[in-house]
Amino acid sequence: MKIVRNCARNIWSWIRQVSGDAAYENYVRSTRRVAQAEMARVDSRTMHAGCCSTHARSALLLTREEFYLHALRRRYSTISRCC
Amino acid sequence: MKSILKIILWTAIALAGAGALAAIAFERREPLNAVWFVVAAVCTYLVAYRFYSKFIAAKVLALDDTRATPAERLEDGHDFVPTSKWVLIGHHFAAIAGPGPLVGPTLAAQFGYLPGTLWLIVGAALGGCVQDFIILFCSIRRDGKSLGQMAREEVSKRGGMIALLAVLAIMIILLAVVALVIVKALKESPWGTFTLAMTIPIALLMGIYLRYVRPGRVLEASLGGVALVMLAVVSGQWVNASPAWSSAFTLSGPALAIAIIAYGYAASALPVWLLLAPRDYLSAFIKVGAIAALAIGVIFVRPTLEMPALTRFVDGNGPVFAGKIFPFCFITIACGAISGFHALISSGTTPKMILRESHARMIGYGAMLMESFVGVMAMIAACALQPGVYFAINSPAGIVGKTTDAAAATIRSWGFTLDPQTMSALAQRVGEHTLLDRTGGAPSLAVGMAQIFSGTIGGERLLSIWYHFAIMFEALFILTVLDAGTRVGRFMVQELGGHLWKPLGKSGSTAGILATSALMVGAWGYFLWQGVQDPLGGINSLWPLFGIANQLLACVALAVATTILLKMGRARWIWVTLAPMVWLVAITMTASYQKIFSANFRIGFLSQANALAAQISSGSIPADKIAVTQRLIFNNRLDAAVTAVLAVMILVLLVEAIGEWIAILSGRKAAVLHESPYVATRWAEGGD
Repeated sequence: MKIVRNCARNIWSWIRQVSGDAAYENYVRSTRRVAQAEMARVDSRTMHAGCCSTHARSALLLTREEFYLHALRRRYSTISRCC
Repeated sequence: MKSILKIILWTAIALAGAGALAAIAFERREPLNAVWFVVAAVCTYLVAYRFYSKFIAAKVLALDDTRATPAERLEDGHDFVPTSKWVLIGHHFAAIAGPGPLVGPTLAAQFGYLPGTLWLIVGAALGGCVQDFIILFCSIRRDGKSLGQMAREEVSKRGGMIALLAVLAIMIILLAVVALVIVKALKESPWGTFTLAMTIPIALLMGIYLRYVRPGRVLEASLGGVALVMLAVVSGQWVNASPAWSSAFTLSGPALAIAIIAYGYAASALPVWLLLAPRDYLSAFIKVGAIAALAIGVIFVRPTLEMPALTRFVDGNGPVFAGKIFPFCFITIACGAISGFHALISSGTTPKMILRESHARMIGYGAMLMESFVGVMAMIAACALQPGVYFAINSPAGIVGKTTDAAAATIRSWGFTLDPQTMSALAQRVGEHTLLDRTGGAPSLAVGMAQIFSGTIGGERLLSIWYHFAIMFEALFILTVLDAGTRVGRFMVQELGGHLWKPLGKSGSTAGILATSALMVGAWGYFLWQGVQDPLGGINSLWPLFGIANQLLACVALAVATTILLKMGRARWIWVTLAPMVWLVAITMTASYQKIFSANFRIGFLSQANALAAQISSGSIPADKIAVTQRLIFNNRLDAAVTAVLAVMILVLLVEAIGEWIAILSGRKAAVLHESPYVATRWAEGGD
């Protein structure tokens, strides 16, 4: 039963990823990851500045609606569909 | 022990594939079952993927998983997003699979099933997949740069400009020819026209939902949209049955062309969230679902192929399009075997999302194999039809005549059986007034798909619904290509126009948007109108033109790839890209020459123009048809000029590339690669 449940969960997650339904969650996760990596890079002397930049980045996080419109503009300004 | 089992397994797969290919090539005693095609294709793909792509990955490209990809180094949550290879292959496949692998093989079926099937399988394994894989790799090593940018940096500045112009020209011809396919499929078809028209309000509804009600919830909006589209397909039968509604949705070819041109303009100028994006989501869902259903249906129904291995039209006098197998089979089937357009996707968003270099093998090579399989499915669906029915649907009225009796007589004279009553009954069974003169491939593919689907679910009762589902599926994603292509074309026109007149280059200005949209729509609309007016059906001229342009772009991509391999010090392996490039140059240059200069007026643009001019001079054209005939003469000369310009542009680029190769090989020039510097990955190996 557990195997079936895991399998169903994986398929559902894959469909959400491929369809673009999970794009906003990916964006939030990605932005946080980048912020954490930035934080990790700063040494103890500049820790405060690093924290501020991380907070600034979090504050700049787009809302779901803003992100959706932003992603569409980027996607359809380049060749995204073939013949 | 394990390795012995592996050797036995791979030997068995290789033998099964070789046996099935031999059966397809040599069996003539009885009609073949589609299972042979599926086995031949799948086994060849498995062997090609396991051995050839692995060889390219290890020896030719030396993929390096210790090297950070752009998705890791430049991660920004927008363009550069590390993505699992299982998700990215889905994105990439959805992006590369358009109407081409369905329409091309259907048209090429006029030669019989053999030439097209072999080209689809072998061409993809040795050409198309290699191109997609290597261009994807090159773009990853250059932070996701486009084909044009790579051509400029690695070959020459002129190479970059040529690539940009070639892409724009291909876009214009592509959009015209796919629009023509819709016109030919929907003219005088109230059911089909109603269904497609309904997808516009459905997409608008989805757009508003995704923008204001539940922003970005793509899955729920798309599922709702798909349900509404299916409802539209089913309710189309009542529209068809009602005299008033039926006449409202019965449109002639020219009327449909005008409607599509107006739609293309509106879709290009409207905000992207309102119509283009929701329609794209809708079409992606239906496309993947219908292709999967077709694959399952073929395996479940196992249809017998009625078309012979080779037809009499290998002599070049085919009614669907004129020209011999070499070179026309190889330019008619571009997508599905090798398509230059894919190089634009492989150097677009995909390289910016790849997690590791080694994933390029599965995504670049693997996704193209999947597209090739779609082409094989389309070939099966087309060849499962009775040949007489296939030719009656796909031949223009100018060749087979306007009535069922005339068409049946002409087709019988070619040696195929066709009963006029059978054609009329088939049209009635699929809910159409007529299936004659439906050139373009989409209707015959829809009949083939409907027969396969109804053999799986619903039987004869659902044949008409399955037919209109298949027509809707083809038309829906062709319209999406039209929307998206016009919009991207508009940006290209703005980029090029901005060099001539600065205000045109401002992407945000309303006047700039309206003007460049009009230019782009006017360009493809002109070719569409030309196709609609063409007495030979339009596909005869436009599809080969599109095929030539597409394969010329593949020559550019392979020339860029060869240059990069040489600069990487892999001279001993350049045959991997050089061999398909030489083959494509031979095909495209022969086809271009024949399309311009052939004395056969059904092939050569100039000889057709001259023949029509001679008819006017001799007084055999009635006075009221002279203006139309003069337009046809002009159009033929224009098509000849477009073909010549494309061929010359690509020759210039090839000469520059060959000059670069000679300079590098002779040591006169240092091989300077424009790769991004090596940065070690921070992620543990093997992670996804």
